[in-house]
Amino acid sequence: MQLPDAIKEKPGRNYETIAWKWMRYSALLLIPLVWGHVLLQDILVGVHRIDLNYVALRWASLGWRIYDVLLLGFAFAHGVNGLRQVALDYIHNPRARRGVEWGLLIFWLLITGIGAAAIIGGVSALPE
Amino acid sequence: MAHLKTPLQGYLGYRGREGQTAFLLHRISGIGTALFLTIHILDTALVYFYPGLYEEAIGIYRTTLFGIAELFLVFLVIYHGINGLRIAGFDLFVPQRWNIPTARGSFRLTLILTLLLWLPAAAVMLYNLLHHNFGLFGG
Repeated sequence: MQLPDAIKEKPGRNYETIAWKWMRYSALLLIPLVWGHVLLQDILVGVHRIDLNYVALRWASLGWRIYDVLLLGFAFAHGVNGLRQVALDYIHNPRARRGVEWGLLIFWLLITGIGAAAIIGGVSALPE
Repeated sequence: MAHLKTPLQGYLGYRGREGQTAFLLHRISGIGTALFLTIHILDTALVYFYPGLYEEAIGIYRTTLFGIAELFLVFLVIYHGINGLRIAGFDLFVPQRWNIPTARGSFRLTLILTLLLWLPAAAVMLYNLLHHNFGLFGG
């Protein structure tokens, strides 16, 4: 199929082309990270066996904490950038677009920070 | 939000077949997963900030309603992953092969692979739900 000239040219390096690549490279990494997490927690262990003791046991291992930090960092950044792309498809007013971008940036930093604090801090009190 | 009505009507009226279905499913599964992920980061963070509430939050996930939602969520996560691999694979390695026949064929393959991975996962999760919430299978 013959492509129109306008889309044959590769755009130069800018924020959006970097974000475009980021979504695809992070996707390749998220397959083992997210599917591994779902396989372990939802299917092999199951929500009925997850409690504070289970989380404490898992996070007693540094390897699982690193896994969870990677999962948090990559999955949530991929997700929030995805939400940004979706929102900007429908919101065209320049001021509103800036608002969305700043809002999502703050949202991303806040939630990532809360999640990271919990993984680093660990289970703060176990039941009696 | 003035711009939302036109695309939403377009999604319903446009007959883009497989390519459009893939796009819509990718978008819906992405938004859904991102929203769940936000809630899930916050509920897990309770183990550090408010451990007494963590068991309450997990209690909600153990209800039948959330058990059924979990089945759908896992379907969406598997679909989003395989369809994402399809997109990344074409975009990064063989962009010249993006055409309507390969897009249609690869989307059908994506759906088949999604179902093949989801069915055994769903069977285990359904077993767990029936076992713990309805006392079946010796529960």
